[in-house]
Amino acid sequence: MSASGAKTNLHEFVVQENEQVAEGLWRMRCNTALAAELAPGQFVQVSVPADASHILRIPLSFARADARSGELDIVYAVVGEGTRRLSAMAVGQASTMVGPCGNGWWLPQDQGRALLVAGGVGLPPIFACASMLAQTGVGFDVVVGAQTASRHCVGYVDELRSMGIHEGCDCARKVVLTTDDGTLGMRGFVTQAMENLLAEHTYAQVYACGPNPMMAGVAKLSMSKDIACEVSLERMMGCGFGACSCCNVALVDGTQALCCTDGPVFDARRVQWQTR
Amino acid sequence: MADAVRMDVNLGGIHMRNPINTASGTFGNGRQFEGFYDVGATLGAITCKGVAAQPWQGNDAPRLAELPSAIMNSVGLQNPGVPAFVQTYGTYLQSVVDRGCAVICQVAGHSIDEYVRALELFEELAPFASGFELNISCPNIAKGGAAMGATPRDAAEVMRAVRPLTKRPIVVKMAPHDVAEIGRALEAEGADALSLINTIPGMAIDINTRRSRVARPTAGVSGPAIHAIAVRMVWECAQAVKIPLCGIGGVASGADAAEMILAGATAVSVGTANLTDPMAAKRVVEELEAWASQQGVSSIDELRGAFVC
Ligand SMILES: Cc1cc2nc3c(=O)[nH]c(=O)nc-3n(C[C@H](O)[C@H](O)[C@H](O)COP(=O)(O)OP(=O)(O)OC[C@H]3O[C@@H](n4cnc5c(N)ncnc54)[C@H](O)[C@@H]3O)c2cc1C
Ligand SMILES: Cc1cc2nc3c(=O)[nH]c(=O)nc-3n(C[C@H](O)[C@H](O)[C@H](O)COP(=O)(O)O)c2cc1C
Ligand code: FES
Repeated sequence: MSASGAKTNLHEFVVQENEQVAEGLWRMRCNTALAAELAPGQFVQVSVPADASHILRIPLSFARADARSGELDIVYAVVGEGTRRLSAMAVGQASTMVGPCGNGWWLPQDQGRALLVAGGVGLPPIFACASMLAQTGVGFDVVVGAQTASRHCVGYVDELRSMGIHEGCDCARKVVLTTDDGTLGMRGFVTQAMENLLAEHTYAQVYACGPNPMMAGVAKLSMSKDIACEVSLERMMGCGFGACSCCNVALVDGTQALCCTDGPVFDARRVQWQTR
Repeated sequence: MADAVRMDVNLGGIHMRNPINTASGTFGNGRQFEGFYDVGATLGAITCKGVAAQPWQGNDAPRLAELPSAIMNSVGLQNPGVPAFVQTYGTYLQSVVDRGCAVICQVAGHSIDEYVRALELFEELAPFASGFELNISCPNIAKGGAAMGATPRDAAEVMRAVRPLTKRPIVVKMAPHDVAEIGRALEAEGADALSLINTIPGMAIDINTRRSRVARPTAGVSGPAIHAIAVRMVWECAQAVKIPLCGIGGVASGADAAEMILAGATAVSVGTANLTDPMAAKRVVEELEAWASQQGVSSIDELRGAFVC
């Protein structure tokens, strides 16, 4: 059983669009009944056709799931063979995905302002989180980091600026961009932008997704200011639904949680933040 | 229309409605698959994850790497211990038995004393178990596991210690080596059935970091790539012992399961395939039945060991 209450199951999907949106980054819009069952922060396990020697499914978050139209938007980085073949899927082509997998983001305990931090391909679940907050009227600011300007998804950033505003949501939203090389927005890491924001504003909740060292930094900063922080973690996944114990996350109490069913969203305070 | 082929089999006293079982550690404890299909109404048996007397935390991350037509895992038998396992899964597993599917509980340990303690606890707390599987072949733990079943003498010693503890059937899970000799030793000590093979120890090195791709230097390889090796070992073992065998290794289709049966297996477990295709075990049942009905036999038993050589 997942956070959205739906049982994890096997679903067909059909590719509607599959196009490059930034350097190394693609967006696939597909049609699937699963879209109606997903909560922001959950993920799906995608089977990419065409090479039987790759047996694992690919775990992927989503940026948007539209229950009415059945549209699901996945934003992914091409980093290896599986994601390369995913980028080669043609419009109209069908395959299967397993979902909903894992637990989504939790809404903030109180109605205070939230700070969202995305690094690289951590953007999709943070975008979904932003939509959730905008719909529930929670005010938030966003930091989006990438290596360089060409790797920023401009379309999603624009939407982050405008989403929910017409519904009377917080109009003074800050969307801060960073790049490692200074080619767009602030030069430096997302944690530096986050420090600046923390110095100026009070936040009740931090949500973060990105590379592990980034999340470790965000978690440390949040904890030092005693702000609740949720992180969405990545692990190699065998099944995605709690059957193989391959996706362990070491917790501070010395036990091992499963990223796929106990996460991927974790309270940062529970996680042992060592990097291998 | 021809009469349906009888698919039920007897794995050393474990009665199965069809030969399909699930490989320990690849099927959760059954419940994880109930959203995909009715497990209890479909499979011949399920084998639960290895459980020890006390909780084990397992190995560090990463525990998994993907290889061509295979995966490599170093889970290291993470488990909650027998009492917590029964508390969490007992009611569910009883419902699986009530639906006509056998439930095999796997027993893990680091030493003979730990196997004894775990089986004593199971015997007392798990009335739902149709039988037990003794795991003396896990390659992913520092002591115990595969070391406990490394030689015919070691394997026999564990079997001798646990045999008096239960009247229920004991299946012994074997490592992928010396299966004829070790199988004979286990049979002599009263094993009711043997299951083989466990994962094959392997290595995968990231050439840039020069580290292992999982947290330990070696890990267990499973999946389609090991199927041919597993079939050969089932065939060798079947010639050496009279007790029934459960064939395991890279089974992803009815054809793969049929090969195991022709090589001499009574039952067949689906492992890694469950992870990549959650419907795999159900599909294997259906495909195996379709194959059997094309063979002009009245019972699947007639096909066991029917390999022509
Ligand atoms: C819950 C979850 C959600 C994810 N969401 C997204 C997403 O929305 N967009 C996106 O682009 N990626 C996402 N990922 C990462 C994505 O799953 C991997 O990039 C993908 O599996 C790589 O497959 P591949 O065959 O192309 O690469 P491979 O050839 O298998 O590997 C290439 C590189 O990717 C790394 N990698 C492989 N598998 C994973 C994994 N499961 N997690 C992290 N790194 C991995 C490898 O270590 C290697 O460095 C997510 C991962 C998880 C666990
Ligand atoms: C993730 C994973 C966990 C496993 N855990 C166990 C276990 O707890 N006990 C055991 O005897 N075998 C375990 N195995 C081995 C399988 O039961 C099986 O013997 C092996 O994977 C070969 O079959 P396959 O190729 O069909 O997967 C595990 C295998 C995998 C992939
Ligand atoms: S990926 Fe299998 S238990 Fe998490």
